[in-house]
Amino acid sequence: MISHRQGNAQRIAALDERAEALHLKRGMGIADARAMHPSVDVVEANPEADRRLLESLADWCDRYTPLVALDAADGLFLDVTGCTHLFGGERSMLDDILSRFFHQGFDVRAGLAATPGAAWAAARFASDRIVPCGEEEALLAPLPLAALRIEPDIRASLESVGLRTAGAVMAAPRAPLARRFGVSLLLRLDQALGRLDEAVSPRLPMAPLSVERHLAEPIMLTDEIERLVKMLATTLKADLERRGEGARRLALLLFRVDGAVSRIAVGTSRPLREPLLIQKLFHERLAALEQDIDAGYGFDLVRLSVLSAAAFDMQQADLAGETRDDGADIALFADRIRARLGDSAVLKPVAVESHLPERAVAMLPYAEAPQRVSPPKKPGKMQDTSSKPVFRPERPIRLFRSPEPIEVPATEMPEGPPMNFRWRRALYRVARAEGPERIAPEWWREAAGQEDTPTRDYFRIEDSDGRRYWLYRQGLYGASQAAPRWFMHGVFA
Amino acid sequence: MTPLDSSAALWNPREHNRNNCEWKLTVMATSAVARETVFALRRQIAKIEGTLPERLEAPAGAAPVDAPRNPTADVTLQNPTADIPPQDLTIVRRGLAVAPPDAFLRTGAEGLDTALSGGLPKAALSEIHGAATRDAGAVAGFALSLVSLILKQGPRLPVLWIGTAEIFREAGFPYARGLHALFGIEPEQLLFSEAPRLLDALWTAEEAARMTALAAVILEIRGSPQRLDLTATRRLHARAQNAGRPVFLLRQAGEPEPTAAPVRLVLSAAPSAPRETIAGPLAGSIGRPAFTVSIGKSRTALPGQFTLEWNPDERSFEERRTGEERAANPVPVVSASRRGKDPAAASGAVLAFPAVGSPAPGDQPSPGERAAHRRPRRAG
Repeated sequence: MISHRQGNAQRIAALDERAEALHLKRGMGIADARAMHPSVDVVEANPEADRRLLESLADWCDRYTPLVALDAADGLFLDVTGCTHLFGGERSMLDDILSRFFHQGFDVRAGLAATPGAAWAAARFASDRIVPCGEEEALLAPLPLAALRIEPDIRASLESVGLRTAGAVMAAPRAPLARRFGVSLLLRLDQALGRLDEAVSPRLPMAPLSVERHLAEPIMLTDEIERLVKMLATTLKADLERRGEGARRLALLLFRVDGAVSRIAVGTSRPLREPLLIQKLFHERLAALEQDIDAGYGFDLVRLSVLSAAAFDMQQADLAGETRDDGADIALFADRIRARLGDSAVLKPVAVESHLPERAVAMLPYAEAPQRVSPPKKPGKMQDTSSKPVFRPERPIRLFRSPEPIEVPATEMPEGPPMNFRWRRALYRVARAEGPERIAPEWWREAAGQEDTPTRDYFRIEDSDGRRYWLYRQGLYGASQAAPRWFMHGVFA
Repeated sequence: MTPLDSSAALWNPREHNRNNCEWKLTVMATSAVARETVFALRRQIAKIEGTLPERLEAPAGAAPVDAPRNPTADVTLQNPTADIPPQDLTIVRRGLAVAPPDAFLRTGAEGLDTALSGGLPKAALSEIHGAATRDAGAVAGFALSLVSLILKQGPRLPVLWIGTAEIFREAGFPYARGLHALFGIEPEQLLFSEAPRLLDALWTAEEAARMTALAAVILEIRGSPQRLDLTATRRLHARAQNAGRPVFLLRQAGEPEPTAAPVRLVLSAAPSAPRETIAGPLAGSIGRPAFTVSIGKSRTALPGQFTLEWNPDERSFEERRTGEERAANPVPVVSASRRGKDPAAASGAVLAFPAVGSPAPGDQPSPGERAAHRRPRRAG
């Protein structure tokens, strides 16, 4: 028996058959139930866990159709349009679903109809029924008002005027109903009867292309999965070629025998359709996920879907049959690293117009970085000299992600470089210094109320051993009560 | 000394560095007979190792300069190098003997190139060490200047820099603006890979090492991890050899360990020369980056130390003359004043090439040196 808190009282949210046999009901207070049967076992409801379970079931239902939607807290919509013939017709598909759920230990009721509303009613009030097209009215007529998916207060007011079944509502004139009970009642009615289309929004975006293979004997080994990926990718290649596209994101869905679904996605930085390369990418991904994927008793359905595709431009090979494109090698290499180590494993620096050193270079993942198509300009010719500063500022070769505070005991001049400093608990004597280079914060980027970010005075420092550093002092002496702080920001060669 | 003695010195268990052993052998092999015996032994060693022995004449003048700095070559005390004419020194190369002449990357610094008998191997793993994490700037700078030399000659290919998250946190992330300004490497040519674990970094490096579409691979590691052993480096080296591309293994704060890399250089920063202006060197300024390179391990080279200066405009190395050479060739480092007066006291600290490891400003020249640069002024 599961309890939940409603208002100020603990009430029964759900209960099993044995509790039902004791004449306990949903919505009854826990205190009352305890008084009737002191030995009942009460568990606190956990809506989060219920939701997770429902989502994993939805994942599993993906094997029947890619269009699976969640319905409230305890239902799933499966849009099986065009899918039933794959399972030998509607009846055998429904039986298959029910038997598989039964073997997984779930008590499931299912209904199949031409409209979501009718299927909902059939599942909840006429178990395991397949409603042929056009017989929705006959199905709904004897059912109580709850079968219409209407709000409880509308239901209560309908019942108060004597309309107790869906059939009675259908027989009543529409205009007064709409006026008295609102549009939503008629909307639900029309949707159930198929007069209005109702869209079921699927949980996951539907893949434009997917190929799958049902296996009589479940597979467990990674090698076998990879081989299967290659087979599926070969099938996929023909489809991609027909569309003139290549895959940018691919997902591999592994349906375990006991209902768990593993979803493995890889991204590519260029459109891809070569089965061998797709296999390689999944090889890396599977190697990285080795611990996370539990094959259990094996996978009995493997599906490879193209989540997003892009136009694939063919390349002209030369007479030797080789295309010269070094970028493709690197793209594949970056994809493989990415498949194994995550999206930001290969980074590409992109110059940004900014004075702030840390903002002046953005690190983008390789796949997102703009690919340069045109070759770089030849030096000397057509070079735009106007935009180049005459004095190029000296910049370090390594920059700390966050500037590290250093201790500066004294400076010769208030605005000058330090004479020595302590960084990471070691003392450095400054032999030579250049600077300051003043870099003001970008006021146009600052949020309101934070305008007083102090300026930075950067110094190039050479210590007594010849190492060169980039330090800065944040703020000015005398500008505020607190003494300005010093930071280590970079290292020169 | 009999050949038996020399072979005993060769296999002295105290000595692990083969370079030192070779050095000793060559130094001792003064007479023709002894040399014959030594080469017979060499051939035997080469036969056991299964490599081709090759004789190479050492370039004149290269070895004696380095000889006194070899700390472990205690034999040199018994046989002073001054007695041996440089032409008699013979270095035997092994393993790399079959490599074509363009297999070496010439650094442009003559002393280093001749010591490495042609430069750094292009298709190989090269180790570049820094003594402490604070040397990361010098180590990375030297590796990048080598990459810059490669890019100057070759096609525009990207460079991949792989590092563990630890090293990028401790030593700073490579900054593309600075790399462009100093080494002429465009941001588009740079790729970085930050691996959370060393294992991932090694895997990435192995995958990258066999790609011909990369100009060079830099793998940066901190400390002396166990994973980076002989086997791991041998794999990297073999892949680099097959691909014909260099892999630079930067090890910050690491101990020299047995690895498969044919060359190991130990880097530290050298005080830079002041900036050159029309009016002469600008006092107190920080000029071009300078590095102190010592050869930690090489199959061909003798241990030596060189101070190189990187010229970002030319993208080339210049070797800085060492202290002894300057003493041997006295030049007035402070030009004679035209007005016939002594230069101002403050400019007395200006030394064009300060001695390695000593702070330049405030350092008074030794009395001998001062006499040396006073002399021409008196004459004029």
